[in-house]
Amino acid sequence: MARVAREMVEQAGINVEELLELLVSNAAAELTTYYYYTLLRVNLIGLEGEGIKEIAEVARIEDRNHFEALVPRIYELGGSLPEKMNDFHDISACPPASLPKDPTDTIAMLKVLVEAERCAVRGYTHVCNMTAGKDHRTYDLALAILNEEVEHESWFSEFLGEGPSGHFMRRGESSPFVSKFLK
Amino acid sequence: MKEYTREELAQCTGKDGKPALIAAYGKVYDVSESYHWRGGRHHVLHRTGADLTAEFARAPHGAHLLERVPAVGTLQEG
Repeated sequence: MARVAREMVEQAGINVEELLELLVSNAAAELTTYYYYTLLRVNLIGLEGEGIKEIAEVARIEDRNHFEALVPRIYELGGSLPEKMNDFHDISACPPASLPKDPTDTIAMLKVLVEAERCAVRGYTHVCNMTAGKDHRTYDLALAILNEEVEHESWFSEFLGEGPSGHFMRRGESSPFVSKFLK
Repeated sequence: MKEYTREELAQCTGKDGKPALIAAYGKVYDVSESYHWRGGRHHVLHRTGADLTAEFARAPHGAHLLERVPAVGTLQEG
C-alpha cells in the first residue's frame, strides 16, 4: 500500500473505500469480459464471423490489459481482490457478455459485444467523474482505459451500422493508451 | 399504476420481501431483476428506495436506460 498516496486522495475528499469498491468491480468486469470474449471469439467463424473476429480479439486482449493495469492501483490504495474467483466474478460491474443462443447469429454477437463496451464506457466515465482533479493517478488510469473502451464501442457499433465515427483497427501493438501502466 | 409516497418508496430496498424500487422524474421503477442493482446498489454510490432524479443529472448515462426496467408507479409530489 502507498500510504501517503492514499492520504492525498482522502484529503482531496474522495471516499477511498467507495472508490476501491468501484475499482475492484471494474477489474472484475475486465477479467470476466476477457473470459466471455474468449468464448465469443472462438465462435466467430464463417464469412460474417471472421470479419469481426480480429476486433473481438483486440478488445479481448485489451480488456485483460485493463485488468492488469487496475490491480496495482487497487493495492496502492489499500484495497485487495477477493480470494475466491467465484466471488470476483459475481461482483463484476457489468453483466456477463454471454454467448448468444445461436452463436452463428453475428448481429446477436455484435449486440453482446457493444453492450459490454457501453457498460465499460459508463463505468469508467463514472470513475473519471469521481476522481477528476482529486485522485490524479486513478483518473489518469481510468481515462486511459476509457479511451480504449470508447474505441471498442465504436468498432462494434460501426459493424452494426449505427453510424460512422472513423475509427480504424489498431496499428501496431494493442492498448495504445493503457500500455504506459503495464511497463 | 400505484402512486408511492416517499416513505413507501424508502421501504422498497429489495430487503424483507419487498421489491427494489427507484424513482426518477416522477415515475417509480422496479429494479429487482436488474443486474446493475444487485444488493440494492448501483455503482456503489446509488441506493434503492430513493428518488434519484437529481443523481441522473450527474450520471454517465441518460434516463433512457430506465426503459429497460418496468415502471410500476408514480411518485407522489412533495
